[in-house]
Order: sequence, then structure tokens, then C-alpha cells
Amino acid sequence: MNQEKIRNFAIIAHIDHGKSTIADRILELTGAVSKRELKSQMLDSMELEQERGITIKMNAVKLEYKGYTFNLIDTPGHVDFSYEVSRSLAACEGAILLVDATQGIEAQTIANYYLALENDLEVIPVVNKIDLPNADKEKVSSELIDTFGFTEEEIIYTSGKTGEGVDILLDRIIEKIPSPSGEENSKLKALIFDSAFDSYRGVVVQIRIVDGKIKVGDKIRFMSTNSVYDVVEIGYSNPKITKVNELTSGQVGYLCASIKNISDIKIGDTITLDNDPATEALKGYVPMKSMVFSGIYPLETNEYNDLRDALEKLKLNDASLMFSPETSKALGFGFRCGFLGLLHMDIIKERIEREFNINIILTSPSVIYNVYLTNRTMVEVDNPSNMPEKEVIDHIEEPYIKTSIFVPTEYIGPIMELCENKRGTFVNMEYINKTRVNIHYELPLSEIMYDFFDKLKSVTKGYASFDYDLIGYRTSNLVKMDILLNGEPVDALSMIVHKDFAYNIGKNLVSKLREIIPRQLFEVPVQASIGNKVIARENIKAMRKDVLAKCYGGDISRKKKLLEKQKEGKKKMKTIGQVDVPGDAFLEILSINK
Amino acid sequence: MVKSAYIHIPFCKHICSYCDFCKFIYNKDWVLKYLDSLKNEIDLDYKNEELETTYIGGGTPSSLSCDELEKLLEICSIFKLKPGYEYTIEFNIEDITSQKLELCKKYNVNRISIGVQSFNKSYLSLLERNVKVNIEEKILLTKKYFDNINIDLIYALPNQSLSDLKEDLDKYLKLDIPHISCYSLIIEEHTKLNNMHFKPIDEDLDYDMYQLINNKLTGYNHYEISNYAKPGYESKHNLTYWNNEEYYGFGCGASSYIENYRYNNSKNIINYLNKIYNKESEKIDLDEKIRLELILGFRKIKGINISDFKKKYNKDILELFNIKDLVKEEKLIINDDYIFINEKYLYISNEILINFV
Repeated sequence: MNQEKIRNFAIIAHIDHGKSTIADRILELTGAVSKRELKSQMLDSMELEQERGITIKMNAVKLEYKGYTFNLIDTPGHVDFSYEVSRSLAACEGAILLVDATQGIEAQTIANYYLALENDLEVIPVVNKIDLPNADKEKVSSELIDTFGFTEEEIIYTSGKTGEGVDILLDRIIEKIPSPSGEENSKLKALIFDSAFDSYRGVVVQIRIVDGKIKVGDKIRFMSTNSVYDVVEIGYSNPKITKVNELTSGQVGYLCASIKNISDIKIGDTITLDNDPATEALKGYVPMKSMVFSGIYPLETNEYNDLRDALEKLKLNDASLMFSPETSKALGFGFRCGFLGLLHMDIIKERIEREFNINIILTSPSVIYNVYLTNRTMVEVDNPSNMPEKEVIDHIEEPYIKTSIFVPTEYIGPIMELCENKRGTFVNMEYINKTRVNIHYELPLSEIMYDFFDKLKSVTKGYASFDYDLIGYRTSNLVKMDILLNGEPVDALSMIVHKDFAYNIGKNLVSKLREIIPRQLFEVPVQASIGNKVIARENIKAMRKDVLAKCYGGDISRKKKLLEKQKEGKKKMKTIGQVDVPGDAFLEILSINK
Repeated sequence: MVKSAYIHIPFCKHICSYCDFCKFIYNKDWVLKYLDSLKNEIDLDYKNEELETTYIGGGTPSSLSCDELEKLLEICSIFKLKPGYEYTIEFNIEDITSQKLELCKKYNVNRISIGVQSFNKSYLSLLERNVKVNIEEKILLTKKYFDNINIDLIYALPNQSLSDLKEDLDKYLKLDIPHISCYSLIIEEHTKLNNMHFKPIDEDLDYDMYQLINNKLTGYNHYEISNYAKPGYESKHNLTYWNNEEYYGFGCGASSYIENYRYNNSKNIINYLNKIYNKESEKIDLDEKIRLELILGFRKIKGINISDFKKKYNKDILELFNIKDLVKEEKLIINDDYIFINEKYLYISNEILINFV
């Protein structure tokens, strides 16, 4: 394979800036799929991705254009997934930076651009969606010039919808993105940048060959785990799966080696030949640290093993998912899971429910608190129910973030008010142009876990974009708040809150619980307490009416179906003490107004 | 053994906003074909048993013209009835005339069920039952011909107050009618009320209304969740259902329960008119039969007779499902060879019945 003729690149963009549509046009223009075959957003293969309209898992596809081989590697666009973006970028030499002509530069445009720079990629700036009536090419291109220092000539204008400019973009890729620089005759070094589990083929590993070559039948070694396997299948997607006998330096593809032991595969690991190994592994990348923690429990206790199985399989192509077993008095056996952020948590929840068909309960999410004890030791607490007793705590530190909030200037006021309400400290404000600013605040991470995104959206009518960086730990006046149902504390609902906000949170939380827990056969008090002190209380009224209407003309089967449906609904509930709590309750309470 | 026959007449002059039963706007051509097909269906299936009850319901059987009604009654006269039989036909208040009542009398009908629903004109118009006649006069007319009369009443109507309901009940009591069915309005899918986004009234008010009904109707025997009768006027036909006994169902969309099979007639009126019945059948095995016995039996205030149950199934009812626990939790009560739902839980009986599905 002539390495000179290979171009490996990714498309990076803020969410909804049209990345998947551009990818579709590229697939069409290179003849990889005909218009008829093209299902909109071809690269978003998971059902969930297509529904949500966002790309959560990457896919690599091999394309032919004017005698060149393109490997297009898709990337996610959301703030939670910058780690996955950097995985994709490590397999590339170039990146297309896509900006929506109606929106301009947003928070993740900047975050993704810097990720590309860190990976030494050649970046091609593209202003997309120019077909829209409210597109403002001049304004957006001047933003690109002012913010990143591109020149006017470098910027390409495209429409993913009509295909305009995509041919120019493809030519620019050939022209500007360097070919891979690996040595085909060196020892094999292949970077694992993704993997997935296939029930027939075992683990399918997505790789980029950096040096050397790999053939079917080779004995390969995973350098970090030292496990050895025989390669049984090699291939690529174009976007149909195509088997080949070998892949050489610069190429992108997949391999199968009858790998059943999922833990042998680490994303970012290097593959080499067992009998002729490379001496040094590729740089790889440091897995991103989980920022949000929550307990995941099966609704049906006998599904614990299925749940573990599901988590292991999900981890295969989502290395950022962390989990370890834990138990809860209220919920039984489950797992403590670490996520990159709230969206990540939400997606994992949905994937478990949809792809593995297990009904689960998520407990109140938490960050990691550094708890300093009076005996001068420190413990990390990621589960509020493990918080030490008040008496032995000297002080507690919590993680802080620095925000980038891109917003039209007229929303500066509402944003500042929102951040102040979330215990934020103003840092500064950068003007992107006359009408838009980037606002920096320092905020406790825990404050953005609940309704921050929704609030941000509503106070700016959807015009804000948001990104954040972790900046370290700071001391805060925090307390543990317990929730009691029918007088019994429910560990899964405990949370750590700032003392000054505890009363309000408690009040909102119990009233939310009163709303979402259905009436029971008896009256159930719901209380919030700090230590032994009850700070809020409401009662869930006893059920008064639940009776079938007329049994008409002997149509009894219909009435029976109603009862069956009602019974089915009960199965979606978890009985805590004697109270039936809907599985969703634990997550729904997150939407409370703090 | 089949005890009853239900005959469904799916025609109505106007569709009520809450109704989700099988019904069609009255159409003269269809009625004659329908009656023809009905006769055919009865001829095919009816095995000449002596029945205890016959019930002609709808739709609105009384929407038929006198000629059509006579034809219907003529068809139904094929049913052999045991002494002490009960033979009911449903009437809409507007359709009540001396002529139709006399016709019913002539064909041995001995019970009239009148869909009053409410005496209050504004709620009637909400239900899209635009009654232009004097309700009381029509009921008094019926009383001239029949003494066994039922009135259907709907409560828990949108915006209805306790005093509105009290007025309805007072009007009912004044008429001195021996049987009343009181149904809390359920806003079913595929009804006009649902399409108009009406929501059920507050659960607590609904409960208070139920209590009001119970308190107002003290002279009546509250024999089933929604049914009240002067002693001796309990509906035998409905008891067939609640006692889990077998019955025929004739007509479009009707269901039958015969020799441990349930048959549901297709709701496709065109097929029915063309004498295509497409009966869907479902075997009711012993386990299912027992479940039905409980789900239906516990609707009765008196409950289920323990010895009769033992005789019927050769099983001790207390050993079934979690009935023992329910008795321990006082959700079910045992008294004098009967087991029944604690009055306290009667209005939330589904919570108990779901144990048996």
C-alpha cells in the first residue's frame, strides 16, 4: 500500500453543527454509498445515536477518492466525550473543524480545536450549513480568523444538505493533510482506538497501524496486558465490512482474534507481534478521570449478573466507564459507576436498558469529595451514604470547574445570575465579537450535576454553549442530607449539599418525591434530614380510588388486561420498606430546582 | 352450564362523549341486515338451554323503530327462559314511549335499564346526551309498565361538586326506583372526552362522592362495588358475570363464555352484516378460571362463598395465591363462610385484585 496516498482524518465540531450530515455527503461523493442506500447519518450506527441525533461512538470508514484512500474517523461532539474525541484524533493526521454558519464558534469548537492541536493535527476550517437563510459566512469566518488565526484563504464553505463545497473540501484534504509517516518495514505497532463486543466474533478491535504490518494468522501481543492471541480476521468498513489479509502502516481497520476475555483489551494500548515485538509502546492516552458517580442497581435483584455482564461489554467500547460492586440497604446489590459527566451517565443508563434489556435504578449522582478527618487523614468519598460521621470530620473539599459559556451578549445578565445561584465565582469574560462573549466562572462541579444544563438552556433560549475544565479542589461547608420514606432513611437518596442551600434543596426534594411516588395504601411521610434534624416533610396521601369500571356485556378479558397492565406497572417499582417507588424516581429527583 | 344471554345492539342516534363501547350511528339499512345476521348467529350457536336471564344492551337498543324493535324481540323470543327469569332491555331516556314499553311487555321483558347518567342538563350536555324531554316524566311512564327498573348514573364528572351529585341522588331517590348503578366516570382513550383533554377529577373528591352515594342509598343493598338494589331487585344478569358463570354473547363485538371457552365476536360491523362472525376463542383453563372467579367474585360486597368455592374447584380458597397474607393484613375479611374485600379497601380493590392476575 502506498502510504503517500493515505489520508487519515476526523471531523470535529460543536454538537449539531452538521458533522454527521457532512460525513454522509463525503460517503456519497466518494461513492462509498449510493444516495439510495444512504440512510441519513450513516455513521451513527447505534439506534440510540440516531434517535438522539448525536454521535456517541466513533466509527472508522475507508473511502476511495481520486486515487487516494481516506480513512474517516467519526467523533462525538458533546462536552462529556472529549476523551473519546482525543482517542479518535490519535489515529489521524488531520481534522476538519466544522462550524455552523448560523451559530458561529461554540464552546466545543474551541475545546475540540485544542485537542487537535495537542495531537499535532493539521486542521482544515470549514463553515457549514451555508444553505440556510440565516447563514452569516462573513461573521463566522472572521470568528475563525480572530479566534484561531486561520487565514481567509484556508476557510472552506460547505452545505451538508446540498453538498455544495464538499468536493473542494475533499481536494483540500488531499492537498493539506499529511500522509502517515510510519515505516512498513519496522516492527508492528498498532494503536487500539476502539473496540466492541460481537457475540459471534468476540471482541472486535479497531486499530490504526502506525508501523509495520499485521496479517491474518499473526500471533499478536497486547503490550499493556501481555496477552497473546492469533489473528483470525482483519478488515475495514467502507462502510460495508470488507475482509482483507493484511493491514500495513498508515492504514485503519479492525481485527478479531477470538478474544473472549474482555479485560485483555485496553483502549489506547499498542498491539505488536509476539515473536518480533516492538521495544516501546505507543504513547497511548491517559484515561479520563470519572467526574460523576452513581449507583446502578437492577430493578429485579436476580438480574445482578446480567448487569455486570452488560457493564463489562459496555466498557469495551467505552473505556471511560468505571464500575465496582457495592451494596445499598434500600436497593440490594449493584455497582458504583463513574462517568465522565451527566450525559455519559444518561447514555449508559439507556444503553443498559435498550441493548441489554435490564431495568435499572440510578441513585443520586455524586462527585468525589475529599474528606479530611480530625485524625489528620483524608478519605475520598464518592457515595454520600459512605460519608463519615459529622463528629470526625475536620473539613470537606469538593471539585471545582472553570466554565466556558458562549452566549450572545444580551444573556450575560441571566448567565451571571444563574452562576451566582450555583455558588459560582466570576473570573472574566472574553468578547468573541461584538455580539458574543465567552464567560468564565468557577463553580463547584456538584452544582452542574442537577439542573444546570436545563437552566442554561432556558435562560438563554437555547443560545448558550457550555464546556468546562476541572481546576482542583476547594474547601466548602458541606453536609450530608438524608431522605426518609415512611420514617426509614433511604441510603440511595442521600446527598451531599452546601449547608446554606440544604433547607431549600430538602424542601424541593421532598415535594418532588411526593409528586413522583404514587399514592400507597397508607399515608407515607417523606422527610429530609441532616443528622437527626428533620428539615422538610411532606406526606404522600393514601390511595383513595383504584377500581374497575363497568364490566360491560361480559367483556371481562378487557378488564383483566387492565389489571395485568397495572400489575406490570408495579413491577417497574422498587419496594423500599413498604413503599413502592418507581425506578425512575431516583433520577427524576435530579430535575429539582436547587 | 350456560345461564344467560347477552344481545348487543350497536346502534345509537348520537355518540356520547365518554363512550368507548362498540357502537355505530343508527342507519336503517344496517339495522335490518343486522337483525337478520343476529338471528342467524343465534340459530347457529344457541343450543336451546333454559336460561335464567336475557339482556339486550348496546349501543342503544331503544334507538330502533317500533317495527325493528318488535323484530328484535321476536328474534329473542327463541330463548327458553326458566321460571323467575330476568329479561332486561336498555332504554335511552328520549326513546321511552308507551308504544315501545308496551311492545317490551308483550314480549315478556320484565326489567328496564335506563341510561339516565345525570339529571343535570349541563352535565348531560358535557356527556353529549342532549335530552330534550322531561326525565322524571319518562321514568314515571316506565313505572306504569314495569316495576323492576334500573337507572345508570355517572358521577365524578369534570367540575362536578358533591352538592351536584347530591342533587342527582335526591332526584333519583324521589322517583323510588329499585335499582341503581353508579359509575365513576373513566375517561377512556378513543373517546371524545379524552380527545378534548378532560382529566379525571381529584381522587379524594371521587372517594368522597363514593361515600356520599353509600350514605344516601342506605335503604338499598349495596351488593356490588357500583350497584345498589332494593332487596330482591339485584340484577341476576350481572350476577352471572360476577359469579363467573357461563353466558352467550350475540351481536357485533359481544363476548361469550361457554364450556370453558371465551369467544369474542369481531367488532367489524361490515363483516357482521355479511354474517361473517370471526369469533376469536380463548381456552379458559382451570388456573385461569380460578383467577376469574376471584377477580369477579370479589366485586360482590358479600364476596365469595368458601364452601361453594371448595365444591366448585375442590380447592381451599385460603390456600390460593397470597390470600392468607391478605387476610392477615385485613385486606380480605372472612365472615360466616364468605370471604370478601375489607370495606376500607373496596374502592381501591384493584390493588387487591392484581394479586390474582
